[in-house]
Amino acid sequence: MQSRSLDDPTSWWFYAAIHGQYITNNDDPGTPVPTGYPNWGKIPGVPKVPTTPLPSQSTMDEYWDQCQHAGWFFPPWHRGYLYAIENVLRDIIISLKGPKDWALPYWNYLGPNGQYRIPPAFTQQNLPDGSPNPLFVTARYGPQGNGNIYVQIPPVSQNCQQAKSYTGAAPAYGGGKTGFEHFNGSTGYLESNPHNLVHTQVGGNSNSSSYWGLMADPGLAGLDPIFYLHHCNIDRLWAAWNAAGNSNPTDPDWLNGPTATGDRKFYMPNPDKSAWQFTPGMVNNISQLNYTYEELSLGVSTAMLSKNAMRLRNLALADDVKQDTDMDSNTESELAGANKEALKLGATGAHTTVKLDSGGWNRVAKSLKAASKTSLPDEVYLQLEGVKGDADSNIYTVSVNQQYAGHISLFGLRMASMKGGKHGGGGLTIRLDITDIVDKLHLDNDMDTSSLDVLIQPSGPVSDEGECTIERVSIYRKSQQ
Amino acid sequence: MGLSAKLRTSISIVVLGISILAWVILLVNPGHIMGVEHCHVSASGPSAASLDMLLKMNPFSSLLLGWGLMVVAMMMPKLVMPIRHIYSRSFKSRRFSSASLFVLGYIAVWMVVGVVMTAIIIAVNLLMPNSYVPAIILGVIVLIWEFSPVKQVSLNNGHEHPTLSAFGWEASRDALVFGVKHGVWCVASGWALMLLPMLLPQGHNLAMFIVTIIMVSEHLEHPQPPRWRLIFRRKLMLIAYAQTRIRLKQALNPA
Repeated sequence: MQSRSLDDPTSWWFYAAIHGQYITNNDDPGTPVPTGYPNWGKIPGVPKVPTTPLPSQSTMDEYWDQCQHAGWFFPPWHRGYLYAIENVLRDIIISLKGPKDWALPYWNYLGPNGQYRIPPAFTQQNLPDGSPNPLFVTARYGPQGNGNIYVQIPPVSQNCQQAKSYTGAAPAYGGGKTGFEHFNGSTGYLESNPHNLVHTQVGGNSNSSSYWGLMADPGLAGLDPIFYLHHCNIDRLWAAWNAAGNSNPTDPDWLNGPTATGDRKFYMPNPDKSAWQFTPGMVNNISQLNYTYEELSLGVSTAMLSKNAMRLRNLALADDVKQDTDMDSNTESELAGANKEALKLGATGAHTTVKLDSGGWNRVAKSLKAASKTSLPDEVYLQLEGVKGDADSNIYTVSVNQQYAGHISLFGLRMASMKGGKHGGGGLTIRLDITDIVDKLHLDNDMDTSSLDVLIQPSGPVSDEGECTIERVSIYRKSQQ
Repeated sequence: MGLSAKLRTSISIVVLGISILAWVILLVNPGHIMGVEHCHVSASGPSAASLDMLLKMNPFSSLLLGWGLMVVAMMMPKLVMPIRHIYSRSFKSRRFSSASLFVLGYIAVWMVVGVVMTAIIIAVNLLMPNSYVPAIILGVIVLIWEFSPVKQVSLNNGHEHPTLSAFGWEASRDALVFGVKHGVWCVASGWALMLLPMLLPQGHNLAMFIVTIIMVSEHLEHPQPPRWRLIFRRKLMLIAYAQTRIRLKQALNPA
């Protein structure tokens, strides 16, 4: 595939551009191309990425810049993408007398026996015969920025598998309801962690240069072969989640894809270069596509399955509650606090005070006081709004009142911040579930407070050349009544 | 955090309800506030007497009121998304007041523009009463404007949903400023389209309806890089087509 030209729909480069690209100002999503790196012409080392010949405008409009992030099409779009590239690769492998049943492998970085390390086939610069290894890329720096590629566990986890609902007003497994979205504000649990964190950890920021790794930027990620093994694992997790009895949406707007809301269709090139148009309904489960994974267990212990049961146990209340369900249409969420000034995130991170609103915060306190198995207490979320900039490869830890709230990855930041992009430059919206921290405040009798301290600190090497601003830090409550 | 489906629907119903109410008033046309009426004096060509008669038959304030109703009828459907944004980003106690300030700021911009537009409408009716020529000339300007980069810049900026202050007068200020900015970009995008129905000697209700469809449809499109292009922003039609197809399919093939 790498020997084929950029304008060949079955080339490696074309397939990477389907995910996202920095070659041309393609109209949709209208991502302006930087002149320096990450422009594909400025990528360091290997591979030598072509920027010509460009396909026709209509071909680019049809195929390029399709990747779906921060919304409910994230899992099915990537499944179709993997299925299509696997078909192209298998076709080539068979033509080279390889196995007829060849399939994309997955990198189960959460598995036992040191699987958190990148498979060695990807780290050798040359093959045994001395020729360049097509699986190796120079711009892959890892979590410490030194070329040692591994996934840090924690913070990477498969706790997303505990989620019970695919979509909803609050964060859910697959993401919030959206149209055709490159990046927006409805990221699902599967996408936040492990997906985003693995992208930024594997890509990383170089210790010795100003480059960041291909994997850390959606406009570059599809160029790195490890991308496809990472996404196979994400696809496997989704399949395992379904195999455990969790359902995908039945909403026609999901099953029919973005065309249901007047947007672009999902297209992939077949091995014969014809177009395969697919919808989420066509990739709803892996049996529809006639493949499976050798490991389809959920990956989390059954004792952890009900978040509400765990919570009530921690609050010293009965834990025999029903399973968590999606209550999008019935439950309300409301702002309960916000900070005053925008924050600039650099190499040193940032600190802010979130002032609490007596109305919303009191309702949280009240719900905790009255909590029982029939009256579930509110959930509380920290929301980072208007996260804008171009430092996609940075990872930060967030703590609230000195309690760890989570890691955040800025994967997709540049594209979400483009003024002419699909989202009008609104930036990313990042949410962290801080219900546990608020429960602890309740147990410590500290709910009578007027503010919360939020500290955001870099995790690992961060690019101090890139910019990142957070316009508002907010606290939201979500009623479970 | 997203709003519950119930609240999202409630906002749509209220906002669209206000729009429908304004449409009903416009169609009933009490006191003939919509369109300019003529008699043999006002239709006799430009003169002090014809201007005097024109303003007697069509007081400036009535025309401005008609303009305001037209703005509410045609533009409210475009405000559903920004109002939802305000609701999701404001304290519960402030949601309604902030949304009202946003609408106030938005309408205020259109009303200031309305003074100029009404003056143009009177001038056109004075100089070329009952003529289609002004509408045809404006129609050409509309077409040029529709395909221009300025139009795309305005539409792109109309997608901006700013971060809002949560507390105190700053929250009210931000909601009002959001409304004003949204109004400015909306005017920049649609001023010519809005004026077009008012320059037609007949059939401006139908023209207003068509213009509403066009404006809502182009508002639904994603932002795009601004440049000259022959583009028909038909998102609303695509949505209507896709949704009809889905529902028909469901009705014909129930699971």
